[in-house]
Amino acid sequence: MLRLVNLAVIGVLVLAAAWLYEIKYSSTRQAEQVAKLRLEIRRERDAIAALRAEWAQLDNPDRIQILARRHLTLKPIEATQFDSLDRLPEKPIDIVPPGTTDPIGALIEHMVDPEVVTGGVPDREASQ
Amino acid sequence: MSKILLTKAVAARMAEPWRRRFTRRMLYGRNVDRGATAKGRVGLAIAAFAVVYAIVALRLVIFAVAPESHAARRSGSQDAVATARPDILDRNAQILATDVRMPSLFGEPRKIIDVDEATELLTAVLPDLDGAEVRERLGSKRGFVWLKREIKPQQQQQIHRLGIPGIGFLPENKRVYPNGAEVSHLIGLVNIDNQGIAGIEKWLDGRGLADLHRAGFASDRQQTPIELAVDLRVQHALRDELIAAADKYKAKAAAGLVVDVNTGEIISMVSVPDYDPNNPREANDPTRINRLTTGVFELGSTFKALTVAMALDSGKVTLNSSFDARVPLRYGRFNIHDYHAQRRILTVPEIFTYSSNIGTARMALSLGVEHHRWFLKKVGQLDRLRTELPESAEPLVPKRWGELNTVTIAFGHGLSVAPLQAVMGINALVNGGYLIPPTFMRRTEQEARALATQVVKPETSEKMRYLMRLNAEKGTASKADVKGYYVGGKTGTSEKVVGGRYSKTKLLNTFTAIMPADKPRYQLLIILDEPQPLKETFGFATSGWNAAPTAGKVIARIAPLLGLEPRFELPPAERLILARGG
Repeated sequence: MLRLVNLAVIGVLVLAAAWLYEIKYSSTRQAEQVAKLRLEIRRERDAIAALRAEWAQLDNPDRIQILARRHLTLKPIEATQFDSLDRLPEKPIDIVPPGTTDPIGALIEHMVDPEVVTGGVPDREASQ
Repeated sequence: MSKILLTKAVAARMAEPWRRRFTRRMLYGRNVDRGATAKGRVGLAIAAFAVVYAIVALRLVIFAVAPESHAARRSGSQDAVATARPDILDRNAQILATDVRMPSLFGEPRKIIDVDEATELLTAVLPDLDGAEVRERLGSKRGFVWLKREIKPQQQQQIHRLGIPGIGFLPENKRVYPNGAEVSHLIGLVNIDNQGIAGIEKWLDGRGLADLHRAGFASDRQQTPIELAVDLRVQHALRDELIAAADKYKAKAAAGLVVDVNTGEIISMVSVPDYDPNNPREANDPTRINRLTTGVFELGSTFKALTVAMALDSGKVTLNSSFDARVPLRYGRFNIHDYHAQRRILTVPEIFTYSSNIGTARMALSLGVEHHRWFLKKVGQLDRLRTELPESAEPLVPKRWGELNTVTIAFGHGLSVAPLQAVMGINALVNGGYLIPPTFMRRTEQEARALATQVVKPETSEKMRYLMRLNAEKGTASKADVKGYYVGGKTGTSEKVVGGRYSKTKLLNTFTAIMPADKPRYQLLIILDEPQPLKETFGFATSGWNAAPTAGKVIARIAPLLGLEPRFELPPAERLILARGG
């Protein structure tokens, strides 16, 4: 009886040791992974900082101004070029009603005025 | 159980011969039960060992829970010798200063085998390295020597490939200023160890960053960036125009300032010639000082705005009051003349627009010396103005303030103040009477109100706005009037003191503009140091001919950036003054 218990305890001990080893090993691996990722993050951050610095350098208004003078025909904006929205003219009326399937047909229909019959047409028909 | 043991012991004692019993009594004492004592001792030993093992187990758990604290400390000391600083951003989150990690080259002389070979190889890759110095450093007995701080990544690669033993790299944080000289005087610069030595950078250190550095905590870049009130676009436009103006009028120096009238935020501050903070050697040149905060100047007629406001605020003078400007004002051996002499009795608006020295002097005299001094003290012109910038200058106030001082100070001579200080004072005259200390940090209008002190009445402030506007419409400031932005302004031409006398040719010209004048949002100050007369200016070198047109150009450029809406339907200022009944 006692021997059986002893054997069982030894078995459990071995299993526990193996389990502990496994845990310890995987935790070490994960710690290494964490350290690696940390390093990577720091490198990325440094790279981002360097790129942002470079971007800011390229974005420097002094440089942009020189480039714009050399390559563009644009000129500084003047006060008279601003206007308020309520002074915009009305939007022209839509000739083609929205949602038509045949926009060209609608356009022709709009051009042909049904009420006004030109005087010449029936006359010409009468003369023939 | 114990009973059995006891009886057993008694039985054993009975069985013992008397001599042995005697020795035992001698050794352990009478009636001592050895078995019980032994049991107690074993129990004690078990407890002691249990405690030891518990401690061991606890330590193991602690190590398991925090396994990397040690490793982290080691790696932390390895990188970033020069500590990290927070980024500095402008109000639109454009980068003004940031940290970039750069490798630095060091040597360990004890590990170097051939000093001459190492020196030769290194100087081949880094031509600007002094060969003799490197040889001396590597030949020393020290364990660690810096060879070159902040080398390029390509150079690091090349040196790495050379494979010299005893040569290594340490990554260091290097401060870079992507905008070069654009914001130099404002943000200042750092030394090779990333410690701020001027401007906002120094202020940052003063706020506890230096202590963090010393404790070794500030090596990471995870610090919240500092957001300044400056607008890089406005800064550029102002600087560009100032450089052009200094060039055109052959001025020794030029400076400009844009301030938010209602919050005291400094939107832009330029003082040319300036320096590139990436090249710290330039910064020590005394001609490149920041004229707006470290210099004090007699600001000339710009001060008349303060005098007129004082007079209007006292209630004794109204816009319809008039002062005699027919003859020059004789005071002791001094004769006060008018530059734009009218030789008649002038009303207050006329005194302001013709910039009459005689008129303002008489105005100040009518209120008395003490009142004048008290008012200037109230609007902050007599005390040193401190901002975030470590550099500041004390105004030069006359020790004995007599009537003559009041006469001259009324039109801006005899009292030297830092231009930023004058801007703060004039801000108070036009923003409804609130004296707000200027700041380089972001600030809301509510925060500014909480800091502000009311120095003049809101009605006085309103009158001052229209006087400034009137000046731009028909006075000396007309060349700064950009159509659509309703600019108001005041010119100032002061003669510099050369050898104890006022010079007629060495001038310091200033121009103060407010925009829009009916409800000011921004104030602009332009300073030109010793501008020369030109053919185009018909031989004049006064402020209205150079500082005012420069201000006009600046306003045309920065007003759209500042979000000012052009309006063309506003009535002329004269009508507005009349409508308010003077």
